[in-house]
Amino acid sequence: MTGLVARSRRVRGIAGSLGGYLGLAIVLGVILVLIVAGVLPPRRWAPFSDIRVWLFLLEGLWVTVQIGAAALVASLILAVPLALGRIALPLPLRWFVVGWIELVRATPVLALILGITLFMPRDWLAPMWAATLALTIYTSAVLAEILRAGILSIPKGEVDAARSLGLTYAMTMRLVVLPQAFSRMMPALVSQMITLVKDTSLASIAAVSELAGYARSTHSFFGNPAETYFLVACVYFVINYTLSRIARRLELQRAKEPPVVVPVGLEDVAVSRA
Amino acid sequence: MIGQTIVDNLGLFVQGYLTTILLSVSALLAALVIGSLMASMRVWGGPLLSGIAGFYVEFFRNTPLLIQLFFFAVVLAPRNLGITADPVIVALIGLSVYTGAFATEAIRSGVLAVDPGQIEAARSLGLGQLATIRLIVLPQALRTVIPPLGNVASALIRNSSVAYAIGAREFLFMGLLVTSRTFSLEPYLGILFGYWSLTIPLAIVLGRLERRLGFAR
Repeated sequence: MTGLVARSRRVRGIAGSLGGYLGLAIVLGVILVLIVAGVLPPRRWAPFSDIRVWLFLLEGLWVTVQIGAAALVASLILAVPLALGRIALPLPLRWFVVGWIELVRATPVLALILGITLFMPRDWLAPMWAATLALTIYTSAVLAEILRAGILSIPKGEVDAARSLGLTYAMTMRLVVLPQAFSRMMPALVSQMITLVKDTSLASIAAVSELAGYARSTHSFFGNPAETYFLVACVYFVINYTLSRIARRLELQRAKEPPVVVPVGLEDVAVSRA
Repeated sequence: MIGQTIVDNLGLFVQGYLTTILLSVSALLAALVIGSLMASMRVWGGPLLSGIAGFYVEFFRNTPLLIQLFFFAVVLAPRNLGITADPVIVALIGLSVYTGAFATEAIRSGVLAVDPGQIEAARSLGLGQLATIRLIVLPQALRTVIPPLGNVASALIRNSSVAYAIGAREFLFMGLLVTSRTFSLEPYLGILFGYWSLTIPLAIVLGRLERRLGFAR
């Protein structure tokens, strides 16, 4: 009996996790039918039957992945001192950290990207890395808040226990609190990666050619902007939907733990624990 | 004098500021309508309606707003569907659809957070399905839904800056216009302070509200 329930749950889980891919397949199928039926202009879709167009877009995707990965790693490293600073620094110094985190999170990412690419001399930092820096500034502030929520969710008794066993404050953080906090922030972290991947597209406005920039080159060559943007949106969708499924799975694994209270200002994260 | 470049171009800044506010407020209202509709389909609709709403949420939430705006700008343009060429209207439509996906999820999670026992109790007391939703589910859902919807609103104000990319003359557009004319840091800082004057008070109000609603539960 319990086996049956468990199996049906597993089946529903698989169906649930494939729902988005299935929906995409249906939409693409309908479009294909409409092209064959001549409702949609076949001429504008024809370029995408050529593998070279996809290889070209893949080059753009590679730049997107580079920017995203670099910003993610740098943000993770920066988030630790920011989160710890907001928790543990003495008061006048703590205000600087709080102010920095809150101001950065209150700023549009695009304004950051354009500001830094505009005022950063090009021989100091190429536009691609200037955009990465802007994304890092924003993402590190958000991750710091997620990490802080994770740290604060660790029961105080564990810190007390570690301290009375003779661990120093730094060792307690490194060996007891941070590993658990990182593990608890994983679902929120993966959700934030989705936002980061979407935000990398904004670099194209600052003349950085990543996937969105390559999409522009593609459609200006073939004269099919709507079709190109739709298919490029599908590429982003496959990446981000996969990430969202991973986040969901991580969340279900942690369903028995007390939920991490997510700070205000995170559009994706706040609703993820439904 | 400090602030001279901003004072000299105050008209542009104010015009952009008002456009951003108008764009954000109307997109939020539209997103709430879309969100309520889609969340109802998702929770109470059959498998087909629920599936359509689910795919809408997943697709628009997981693709960049920028790409969506470019797409809408092309599709709505006079030479295609012929609906509008005004970038502010295109941005309004794009922002509404994008934000609607997040609003759907916020509202859905609020509705699902209501204890099923409440619904069973209401039904066994003889309340009809609609009366149960109207009198029991929605008032309670409203409380859980306000903090995440506030986050959505804050993100919307910041996301409205992406309309710059399709040439809508909103705050970022006007601010960057002045910045590139004078090439000084001052108007750029004006942009940042302008957005902060909208997003930070909202965050403070939300933080207070969240604490109060948290106690009430």
